[in-house]
Amino acid sequence: MPPQVNCALPAGFELDQYRIHSQLSLGGFSIVYLAHDRDGTPVAIKEYLPNALALREEGHTKPTIPEEYLPAFRYGMKCFFEEGRALAGLNHPNIVRVLNFFRANETVYMVMQYERGRTLQDYITKRRGEIRESFIRYVFTRLLNGLREVHAHKLLHLDLKPSNIYLRNNGSPVLIDFGAARTTLMADTPMLKPMYTPGFAAPEHYRNRDLLGPWSDIYSVGASMYACLSGGPPQAADQRLENDSVIRAAERWIGQYSPQLLETIDWCMELNHLKRPQSVFALQKALATWDRNEESGMAAPAANPENNWLGRMRARLSALVGK
Amino acid sequence: MRFTIFQESRVGRRKSNQDRMAYSYSRDALLMVVADGMGGHLQGEVAAQIAVQYLVESFQREAKPRLNDPFLFLSRGLTNAHCAILDYADERDIEDGPRTTCVACVIQDSVAYWAHAGDSRLYVLRAGHVMAQTRDHSRVQRMIDRGLLDEDGAMTHPHRNRIYSCLGGPIAPQIEYSRKTPLLAGDTIFLCSDGVWGPLGNETLLKLFDDTQVMQAVPRVMDHAETAGGDTCDNLTMIALNWHDSYAEEPRGSVTTKTLPLDRHTTVLEGFGDRVPSREDWDESAIEAAISEINSAINKYSKGQ
Repeated sequence: MPPQVNCALPAGFELDQYRIHSQLSLGGFSIVYLAHDRDGTPVAIKEYLPNALALREEGHTKPTIPEEYLPAFRYGMKCFFEEGRALAGLNHPNIVRVLNFFRANETVYMVMQYERGRTLQDYITKRRGEIRESFIRYVFTRLLNGLREVHAHKLLHLDLKPSNIYLRNNGSPVLIDFGAARTTLMADTPMLKPMYTPGFAAPEHYRNRDLLGPWSDIYSVGASMYACLSGGPPQAADQRLENDSVIRAAERWIGQYSPQLLETIDWCMELNHLKRPQSVFALQKALATWDRNEESGMAAPAANPENNWLGRMRARLSALVGK
Repeated sequence: MRFTIFQESRVGRRKSNQDRMAYSYSRDALLMVVADGMGGHLQGEVAAQIAVQYLVESFQREAKPRLNDPFLFLSRGLTNAHCAILDYADERDIEDGPRTTCVACVIQDSVAYWAHAGDSRLYVLRAGHVMAQTRDHSRVQRMIDRGLLDEDGAMTHPHRNRIYSCLGGPIAPQIEYSRKTPLLAGDTIFLCSDGVWGPLGNETLLKLFDDTQVMQAVPRVMDHAETAGGDTCDNLTMIALNWHDSYAEEPRGSVTTKTLPLDRHTTVLEGFGDRVPSREDWDESAIEAAISEINSAINKYSKGQ
């Protein structure tokens, strides 16, 4: 199949009760739009449109789906529903909220709350290697609250990575893109390969998918924290199994971050799933344990939390929540 | 609706029976409930009685003859029963109040909906296979999920009775809901307390149920469980139902693919065989059903805010 790119719906397009404003992102499986509802409230709308199976040409609203791909297209739709189902059952400040689900243009759409901010990926790219420990602890502790909720519903995210972690303008993180949740459904359809991102997916994604569990998402959290320090994704887990070239965080950034944080990152990124933190709670506990006195020997700044913006923000926020 | 239903409860070797069960039906809807009052807690049977009675009374009030929204019914019913048990304890100043597990199932339009809290179970059997089964809200189930324990280990684990969700406790119950499950003629659904599944284990329990005529199967399963339970046999309770209608007027051909069991034996073959049958299953009505299911889940939350 030749590579093809789907055309997004044009700005101003009236889609059900929403009006499209612009395209936010384009993936192999879907397009995400910024749109407004009848009250003018901004929403993000995700359109199911796998470009391997359906093509929308310039000027058309309905995609062309070759007859022989129709069963696979329908089957992929089922997976899109799985994402909707997963999100509809979750109601948590650190998880993107789904607002509506509808059919149109021979495909399906999921409407989500629109959050202002940027992805952690953008943040990392911009501040390459200059991310403070307090920031990492702040963001990931809160993000893990969301992930706990996911796991409490017996779901796995399975595609955690910095570009799926959204930072609101107030700094609080939101987990977005649950497209990989319950990927098992897709594993048998060659057209729609299980989704994971090299560098952030746990080794069991590649080898033994029966072993997928909360610890798999925890590997991804560890790899995302690692990426915050290194500025890019760590070596992919399947390659690590062959020839591990990842330098342990505890060695690579010794003296720049607290040993306890670095050890926690290494702990999450253990190749053996049984050696990682077995629950989000265990990891959260580790992230909450930060003895600032131990940092005296550290080269990095951020020693006085009151003198930086994040420290003040943090103090203000903890005052707000009363902790 | 056409069905055969049978229920039985036995005290086992305990002093009192803290299990409660009930069923109720209108022309178009059916309710089945099993509740297992908690042993260590004062007056467990009161909690079980309140839960069952509350659900049955709400059913009789609302199913005239249909329930508007079976999931909403279950969610309100279980939550309110929880509150009613708390009120009971409050009024009498009981500090460590009575608690109960609860599993409840509604069938309407040949679709089953169920919800549970605790370790009383529900099974759906189709063509000799388990099509659906509730997962216990117990510590041992969590350990099994994490790969730290197998089923044999769970049967003898010292903490096998510890559950983390129930009605009447100080923490609000974690109620788990099923999917909408369309039924076919010949399907069997049964609900039971841990006194039934505990001593037998899943495998034996299902083997004993292979002749699914509920009138014969229930007493047979109970006899075996009681024997296996020995001198400390817990209360045993079971409601079972044979369903005789089929969901929707599917063309004959597609019905046969729907009866394909979705258990492990088929999944092992995934990737090798022809997956087209399961894709054809995914037709217009299935899409509509999925969308309305998702939207009702969304609404359930937004109303609560």
